[in-house]
Amino acid sequence: MRVVHGGGAGHRAAYVAFDRFPSSKGSAVHIAQMADELFTRFGGGLLAVIGGADLPRYQREGTREVARFDTPVPNLIDRAEAFSRWVAGHLEPHRDTLEVCHVRDPWSALPAVADGRRHRVLYEVNGLPSIEMAHTWPWAAPGTLAKIRDLERFCLERSDAVVVPSAVIGAAVRRFGVPETKIHLVPNGAEVPGPAERPVDAPERYIVYVGALQPWQGLDVLMRAFARLADLDGLRLVVCASVPERRAKPVRRLAERLGIADRVDWRFTLPHSEVAAWLAHAEVSVAPLTGCARNLDQGCAPLKVIESMAAGVPVVASDLPAVRELMADGVHGRLVPADRPAELARAVRILLEYPDEAAAMGRRGRERVERGLTWARSRALLAEVYRTIAPSDR
Amino acid sequence: MDAAGHGGEEGPVTVTRCHVTTGFFVLGRCGQAAAASCARCVRPVCAAHAGPGGLCPECAAAQGYGTHDPHEPSWTAGYRRHYYQSSSHAYADATWYASFDEYDRGAFDPGDDYAHGGDWGPDDDTGFVDS
Repeated sequence: MRVVHGGGAGHRAAYVAFDRFPSSKGSAVHIAQMADELFTRFGGGLLAVIGGADLPRYQREGTREVARFDTPVPNLIDRAEAFSRWVAGHLEPHRDTLEVCHVRDPWSALPAVADGRRHRVLYEVNGLPSIEMAHTWPWAAPGTLAKIRDLERFCLERSDAVVVPSAVIGAAVRRFGVPETKIHLVPNGAEVPGPAERPVDAPERYIVYVGALQPWQGLDVLMRAFARLADLDGLRLVVCASVPERRAKPVRRLAERLGIADRVDWRFTLPHSEVAAWLAHAEVSVAPLTGCARNLDQGCAPLKVIESMAAGVPVVASDLPAVRELMADGVHGRLVPADRPAELARAVRILLEYPDEAAAMGRRGRERVERGLTWARSRALLAEVYRTIAPSDR
Repeated sequence: MDAAGHGGEEGPVTVTRCHVTTGFFVLGRCGQAAAASCARCVRPVCAAHAGPGGLCPECAAAQGYGTHDPHEPSWTAGYRRHYYQSSSHAYADATWYASFDEYDRGAFDPGDDYAHGGDWGPDDDTGFVDS
């Protein structure tokens, strides 16, 4: 690779995210794809993200520069604002050359949508903190969330284009008064993986959950459902958590109370490629998302559903509008009512009892991804949005 | 691995490897034989990564943005105050950066394992929303 040196000023594109990158979370996969497309279109650029741990504060790869915010500010709002200011400082040297700034959240957007800019702003809405933070931070007052909502509206109004990964999130953005013409649907995608070797420590027969462990993921529902499958000898539940082990404490306690702890295997922060292998050899992949405001009003675009289909595994997921956009009941797996452990257990049991039909669902899921849910397709759609807002793209 | 020993006629020779972090989604170390050391952080860098001025890519990139020291005791408060002033000055906007009062912020303090929000550490996820 060619290594370029110099002052670092003069990027035409910047991608800003209040997320650690790289990491084992789904958001990192998404950021890698979107930022790569942006930087390919604009001959490099600045990626401004969260760092910490062993990640270097700055990195330069050819024409691409990565800058990581790693100041330890414990309070989330303080941290978000400190990040916002840091972003402002990092966009400043590129003010005269910047053509597109792609942001993922209001605190990244705020410095990008400032007055007097010449660049275009693309706001990628994967979620709305004003809705989601009510779940992660239950002590946040309605008045506080209303302020965050005002902040979101301000940034959305001032952005030149809004990209959403699902129609449900698109509808949530429209409720802010954002005109339809400004909202572009760019679904999440997956790469269809080649044959993956069975993980050496994989149990004989297992169902798998992949993802983070926030309450809306419905791990508690899955645990209760799994307790109902105790009669299936040798069946294990593998949880590939994208977050550190200590985050699993409440779910593990629940598993112990339900008497299933010895049948659950935990893996934490596995690299993306290893997760693909765990998916590929599972009997069923489960996405037990709860029917809460975060999943219903705000919407979501669960990468785990797409990646499971790409791996050729039948999916049992909650029947939510955002999930229905990705898969169909009885075709790629089963959709079950959210928050119903008995229904979830029954759907898993049926798939286990009809392995041929389950395998056919897995195959159809993979075909569905190959046909319309690849990252290549998502990136082509994103490139189209860049062309719309910054015609000088070359 | 930072150094490798190789047997030769003159006995083992230690090769110092380039320490520069490379990669985008999957990070690694460059690992080429080092040709110089960075003028600022003194880490070994190979010929491809040694830039003009003798800086490694990380220090060269950092140079364009200035630095800050988070280890000052009153840093957070000072940072925030400075932030309001400079941002409201820069963006002619005294609203957004000052709209969250102490009461609003209080809900977002990290707690212990039993508090909502949980603890917060250097290995934590930081995004507001997640897929």
